[in-house]
Amino acid sequence: MLISKNWLKDFVFLPDAFNPDELALQLSLSTVEVEKVIRQGAGLEGIVVGVIRNIEKHPQADKLWLCQVDAGDGLLPIVCGGSNLSSGMKVALGQIGARVRWHGEGDLIEIKPAVIRGIESQGMICAADEIGLGQLFPSSNEREVINLSHLKAKPGTPLSTALGLDDVVFDIDNKSLTHRSDLWGHYGIAREVAALQRKKFKALNPPPIKGGKEVSVTVSVADTKLCPRYMAVAFCGIKVAPSPEWLQRRLIAVGLRPINNIVDITNYVMLELGQPLHAFDKASLASPDGSVSIFVRRAQGGEKFVTLDNKEYELNEDAMVIASQERALGLAGIKGGAGSGVTDSTTEIVFEAATFEAANIRRTSLALSLRTDSSARFEKGLDPALPELALRRAAALLCELCPGARAISAVAEERHYTLRTEPIVVPAGFIEKKLGVHIEKKRVWDILERLGFTVEEKKGALAVSSPSWRAVKDVRIPEDVVEEVARIYGYAEIPGSLPEFTIAPPPANRLRALERRVRDILAYESGLTEVYNYSFTAPEWAEKIGLPGVHLELDNPVAKDRPLLRRSLLPGLLENVEANCHRFSRVGLFEIGRTYIAEAAGERAAPDSDELLPEQHSHAGIIYAEKNLSVPFYRVAEAIRRLGQRLGADISCQAYPSMPPGYLHPGRAAQLVAGGDIVGWVGEIHPLTAKRLGLETRTAAAEIDLAAYLAYLPERDTARYEPLGVFPAVYRDVAFVVDRRHTHRALCAAIRGFDPLVSSVELFDIYAGEGVRSGAKSLGYHIAYASPERTLTAPEVDKVHAELQKMLMAVFDAQLRT
Amino acid sequence: MAMRDDLYRIKQELADRLKTANDLPGWEALEAEYFSRTAGKFTNLIKKLKQLPEEERKIMGRLGNEVKDEMLSALSARRSFLEGARFARLAETEAIDVTAPFLPPLPMGHLHPTTHVQSDLEDLFTSMGFTILDGPELESEYYNFESVNIPADHPARDMQDTFYIKGHPHWVMRTHTSPVQVRALERYGVPIRAIVPGRCFRNEATDPRHEHTLYQLEGLVVDRQITFSHLKGILETVARYLYGEATQVRLRPKFYPFVEPGVNGEVTCFLCAGAGCRVCKETGWLEIFGAGMVHPNVLTAGGVDPREYQGFAFGLGLSRLVMLKYKIEDVRHLQTGDLRFLSQF
Repeated sequence: MLISKNWLKDFVFLPDAFNPDELALQLSLSTVEVEKVIRQGAGLEGIVVGVIRNIEKHPQADKLWLCQVDAGDGLLPIVCGGSNLSSGMKVALGQIGARVRWHGEGDLIEIKPAVIRGIESQGMICAADEIGLGQLFPSSNEREVINLSHLKAKPGTPLSTALGLDDVVFDIDNKSLTHRSDLWGHYGIAREVAALQRKKFKALNPPPIKGGKEVSVTVSVADTKLCPRYMAVAFCGIKVAPSPEWLQRRLIAVGLRPINNIVDITNYVMLELGQPLHAFDKASLASPDGSVSIFVRRAQGGEKFVTLDNKEYELNEDAMVIASQERALGLAGIKGGAGSGVTDSTTEIVFEAATFEAANIRRTSLALSLRTDSSARFEKGLDPALPELALRRAAALLCELCPGARAISAVAEERHYTLRTEPIVVPAGFIEKKLGVHIEKKRVWDILERLGFTVEEKKGALAVSSPSWRAVKDVRIPEDVVEEVARIYGYAEIPGSLPEFTIAPPPANRLRALERRVRDILAYESGLTEVYNYSFTAPEWAEKIGLPGVHLELDNPVAKDRPLLRRSLLPGLLENVEANCHRFSRVGLFEIGRTYIAEAAGERAAPDSDELLPEQHSHAGIIYAEKNLSVPFYRVAEAIRRLGQRLGADISCQAYPSMPPGYLHPGRAAQLVAGGDIVGWVGEIHPLTAKRLGLETRTAAAEIDLAAYLAYLPERDTARYEPLGVFPAVYRDVAFVVDRRHTHRALCAAIRGFDPLVSSVELFDIYAGEGVRSGAKSLGYHIAYASPERTLTAPEVDKVHAELQKMLMAVFDAQLRT
Repeated sequence: MAMRDDLYRIKQELADRLKTANDLPGWEALEAEYFSRTAGKFTNLIKKLKQLPEEERKIMGRLGNEVKDEMLSALSARRSFLEGARFARLAETEAIDVTAPFLPPLPMGHLHPTTHVQSDLEDLFTSMGFTILDGPELESEYYNFESVNIPADHPARDMQDTFYIKGHPHWVMRTHTSPVQVRALERYGVPIRAIVPGRCFRNEATDPRHEHTLYQLEGLVVDRQITFSHLKGILETVARYLYGEATQVRLRPKFYPFVEPGVNGEVTCFLCAGAGCRVCKETGWLEIFGAGMVHPNVLTAGGVDPREYQGFAFGLGLSRLVMLKYKIEDVRHLQTGDLRFLSQF
């Protein structure tokens, strides 16, 4: 929203020496965010009023003219291609050194002396867009230059002076105004400025409307909740004409195009008071006898409505319309209808000023995607006292602009609201207790009264009554009063301090701690890189992978191709590999993130409800692919194994009891088991799946449900110290070929458990392929024999070792290698 | 007297020959030549003592010992010299390029930049006794909106473009971490000091400055005497922790339905120290917090009596902090999984 300094001055004194940047900062720190301070006329340096004294055709160019332009201190030769040049015309003359934007585009360019097709040119006759005045001087074609002939200014007068562009405009961020319906006009902002600068606020008090009796205007409101107040009054003696320059200038300054005096009045009052108004051509809603009956009703479902600018909308039953007996003439609080507005031939009008329910306007405006200056204000919840002031203000302006105008009806009104009158009780000490700083009572009163509150003291407490413009939904509870005081007092004046607390340690969040440790271990021990992927997946990708289960789906995805909520981290990680593998020969990644499982129960949806949200466990996913690495499985499985060891709860790989899921290699996949429970999986991506996904490198992945794993994680570190053996160990190796179905886990367990003297078993080689019969594999183990009681002798160890080898042959059908 | 002469001569002879013993084998040969048990020149000479008369034998024996010590010490000195000389050339013979890396390279892992910033802040807050919490990312409308004082049709819902879940009209992807305020109050009661770092969602198109998936860090402190001044103190502590002791905090009124009063917090731009630069859009200030005193309705929703307890809440845009810290120009990098990006952290 744009706010004009000159307009503010109607309501609050601002000294000449006043610094607009300081005011902008003050407003930003206490009221609303001022995004920009725009000085009108900035950029017009060097541009003056010039008069074309002589004009002749350029000898070398068809579309160029050679003008002699009076710049106040002599004639300047100017070559110009303007389509509307004439002798005696006043123009905007860009002198040497002025800065313009060629054809309204690109950067500002400094004007320099030039020779154009052989003729000297000492400046430029400017078009509106070239000097940023396109709004003030709309042009019909791009060759049209600004015609200033209507100005009295002498040649050489700076353009900004000639046009009266001495205003400063504050650009206020609308988002910072959403809760302050009273600030959607100059009047409300001026009230804040007065409070901030401790200046007197000049309240508006236009005279009451002297109603006439010639015409009956009646109003009937069907749903007074949706329209708590509706006022209308008819005027005659209207002469539609352009508004006076002062009014046009104000509208233009805040970005509105002047249209005609009547429309401009409604806009002016809206921009001043924040109360949208509407002017109907009385002829469009009057009955044949001249009387006016206005109905405020809900639209019929499917009712068509054509707006002022001839766009058709289909309304639902929630929308509200302003209607005559016959038809809808306005979309309440949003926009007027075609055929009901003021035209050049209008002689009688009806002014409407109303209050509509904010939520309804917002819903309708959203549903129709039709947002207007009016709806933006109504949906914030306007002061129901405001229509009366606005109507009086509009009537006063009308009499000023149209001296022949007078009211020909009484002010018709439907009014069904009660303003909250009960004061807000702010207990003694409340403000200090909330803010942590003492503010003198006098100052508190002063701040509140300047903002329009009335304050009384009752038994030490403050009884604060909100003015109507703050009572709607804004200031209702003592905390709201605290805010009013604090922001005007200045947040900068409240010193920071630190609260005092008992030193009791906070409750631990074990899952968070686990997530953090998992990150560190995977990154810094296993050399994997952390990614953050979206929670959303594309159905095609999920389908290509062949993930089982039904995905939750977004109703309104922003990325239309990714509407699904992930059930697994795998799809995202696979995408990462696919995206990175052409650049990196090794891609090792992990992610810690949530999954969303519709069929499993998560947290409560509300404290008093049985409805449960989907389960949203935190998972750790790992993926690894390396060029020419044929079995990436072990790289991932090792990362998991180390993770388990570091964390203190082993995670082991266990073959799937039947087939693993289809996207995993049937011979290279395992379930991850912790504490006897399945907490995840690890496996190579099935070559067919990989091919479908465009992965050229063999890729292995794993996923652990951290919430499930956490259940098996000991609360305290369970590491135990084993006394160092005093007696030396004796080492023997064993290498053998066994059938492939015998797992390392089983063999290792058998060796370890074979004799109490076996103190450790370590796999040093595993091999299948050339030299080993098919269906078999070769394994090699280092075995340490030791006793806690004595030094073992070689023959003693040899004997046990020989028996162990026999056991391997007997139990596992092993063929020993030598 | 011949014996005496012989001893002196043999000592001198060894000393001379040691000078030309230029390597250890040469030295070893010399040692053997003089001191070998069976045929050493010195050994043989000493054997002749027995033939001397007793009186002279005593004198020569003493002299022999002295000479022997001197010869052995000469040998030992030469040996030390030769050993040193042998390693003196190591710099040439065994030199490597110490600037070269280990090959083949060991894989080096990286944490995500958001993780770095989040962990850093978690450490700060845990050091101040805050607990770290999280809640569901797929939330109910009740917790995401109603419980934090955003009733249906509240204009504030305009600000939160929300993802809804198909078939579950009352489920949303949480638009902020604030619902955890109420969940935490329900679960842990008061007094409470907690932070909630987590993933949030906004239904908006992505571009270099906007992401539909973003990270926030929410803070909540509630007790009997928690004031706005405390809020400012904590925000100042965080700002100074992040950007240095000289950092200033500026608070401006800002409407958030779940706090009253509500403010947004800016810090002096750490790049230009407040002078104005491109990052702070020439203002000298960076907006990084939203904050305020917890609205009584939120306390009530959490089962806490607002007449007895009060407190503050604040939210930090973690993604924004990450971008500022590392000068990342495009927020979308954070979610791409591009190793060229990730391996820089």
